[in-house]
Amino acid sequence: MRRLRIAVPKGAIFEDALAALGTAGLPVDVLRENGRRLVYRSGGTEFITSRPSDVPVFVEHGAADLGIVGKDVLEEQEPNVMELKDLGTGGCRMVLAAPGEKARAVREAISHAEVVRVATKFPNTARRYFEGLGRQAEVIALHGSIELAPLVGLSECIVDLTATGTTLRENNLVVLDSISYSTARVIANRGSYRLRHDEVAAVVDAMRARKQPQGVGGG
Amino acid sequence: MDGVLSVKIAVRMKKLPRKLATTPGTRDILPPESTRLWDVQARILRRFRAFGFREVVTPALEYSEVIEEPRLRDASFKLFDQGNQMLILRPEVTTPVARLVAQRLRNSPPPHKLSYSLPVYRRTGVVRGQAAEFHQAGVEVVGSRSPAEDAGAIALLVDVLQDLGLRPKEGFAVVLGQTAFYEGYLRRAAPEAAPELLGALAAKDLVRVDELSAGLSDEVAAAAREIPRIVGPAADGATLEKAARYAEGEEAAAALENLRETLAHLEAYGCREAVILDLGLIGRYNYYTGTVYEAYSPDLGFTIASGGRYDNLLRRFGETLPATGFAISLERLLAVLPAREPEPLVVLVGGGVESTRAANGLRGSGVKVSHLAEDASPEKASRYARSVEASWICYPAPDGVKLARTGGGEFELVPVPEVAERVHA
Repeated sequence: MRRLRIAVPKGAIFEDALAALGTAGLPVDVLRENGRRLVYRSGGTEFITSRPSDVPVFVEHGAADLGIVGKDVLEEQEPNVMELKDLGTGGCRMVLAAPGEKARAVREAISHAEVVRVATKFPNTARRYFEGLGRQAEVIALHGSIELAPLVGLSECIVDLTATGTTLRENNLVVLDSISYSTARVIANRGSYRLRHDEVAAVVDAMRARKQPQGVGGG
Repeated sequence: MDGVLSVKIAVRMKKLPRKLATTPGTRDILPPESTRLWDVQARILRRFRAFGFREVVTPALEYSEVIEEPRLRDASFKLFDQGNQMLILRPEVTTPVARLVAQRLRNSPPPHKLSYSLPVYRRTGVVRGQAAEFHQAGVEVVGSRSPAEDAGAIALLVDVLQDLGLRPKEGFAVVLGQTAFYEGYLRRAAPEAAPELLGALAAKDLVRVDELSAGLSDEVAAAAREIPRIVGPAADGATLEKAARYAEGEEAAAALENLRETLAHLEAYGCREAVILDLGLIGRYNYYTGTVYEAYSPDLGFTIASGGRYDNLLRRFGETLPATGFAISLERLLAVLPAREPEPLVVLVGGGVESTRAANGLRGSGVKVSHLAEDASPEKASRYARSVEASWICYPAPDGVKLARTGGGEFELVPVPEVAERVHA
């Protein structure tokens, strides 16, 4: 049988993911060696690295057996995968934010059920949020630099992830609402979870989760 | 070579107006894949018949009301008829067969054992690399509550997969769950939390299951967390024993008993080895009420077949018949099947009457013949033979045919009655 393959996201939760895999005794040091490689073999395990938003795609198709990815990505994509563990790391909030000077106007527009334009990398999450409020929004999907959109008039507000709030502050954006709280999750392909259950369970059980302080989610 | 080919493709693509292509998620299926599809379908239907199932055909179009399952409704292609009624292209066949049984077979004695192999249509997943049109072959047993019928259907699925060359364990496994077990346990031990917990499990979100469990008393919380995590070989008694610890209350106990009986029948079928138990598997569709299963191959991340018991689906059509069945996704199955040699085909070359006579004689002796009814050189004939995957070419001769392997073999004079033996050797 082929090696167990684990998809590791590049970017913000890369180090947290390696730490968690490390606690399960997996030889993750190879992943730090060469930033250009895409596939790393080490012992009985194979690691692949990808953009965080692509991790569920690899796992859903069975191109990777296991993956580590933020809950924000899972909520956005709703992939058909098993969600097995909350690692408690990589915590960040999905927020609705607007430029300081327009914050009041946007708040009022939303409360009066006017249509607001919202730029985001998470169009499904944004749409569901506004639908849940019974409010209307014109969602503009972007792939990066979301903070730029309200500064140049592309949108009135944004739905985006923030860990510390620094980027928001630097761009004079204030949080209007907190939509959800996200941490890193371990996901598994549906087939791998069943057909290789012993291996998968051994790795997942051994990965130590960092305890999450209660109440952060309400933010 | 590749470079030349890709340039050719690029040039052609540029010239082709966009809307003359196939629509996203659909495709033309060409030989040899199409041949394989039909072969596999024929073999499957043969096995279905060996278990007493008879084919039905339902329309591709149904009133949208026929399908209730929200996930399937959302995924359906919709259109309107002259009366402005909303129609859908069938996104699956189980519900149409339930409709068919309720409406057409009211007066015949149950159980109705029906099979089908039909294309289905879904809008979702096109950019996820999933098809908008694919083929499902399946069976439904309508009108029996017996776990022996669930086991029978699973055994038939195992039989089909083995017949097509997959080996249990290394080639495939059937993952078996029982939706009524966890549901029954929760309804008794934590009735208020039950709907949310079941929703989380249906979304395959064990993290959410844990979060919701945290609000329950210790013992119940442990069970709510542990039951969906019971996964292991059905042949290993310990897997079922783990579940037995939580079989509290009438519903859960009955569900466990049902599972035991199903496994006993699977044992009798000799296919318990191919089964993995998973008490966390509750099925993708709300209509499943008990036994539920999915077939997986190590070579594919998706299910190749899925099925289960749906005792309430026919109520929608005014009947109270319990039912169980499964559907195989043919394209996915094809992707994991071992390669098979094409059946030997002979290209017979020549436009004259003697060629026609030879073709007729060869076919009469059991040889598959593609008659190229024109005079062609062996090179040209070989090229043609390769393009249709024929491994032999031949020309008519006074005392038989001149026969050679495709691609430059020596021609040999072979009497017509002996060709069959030669090409099938």
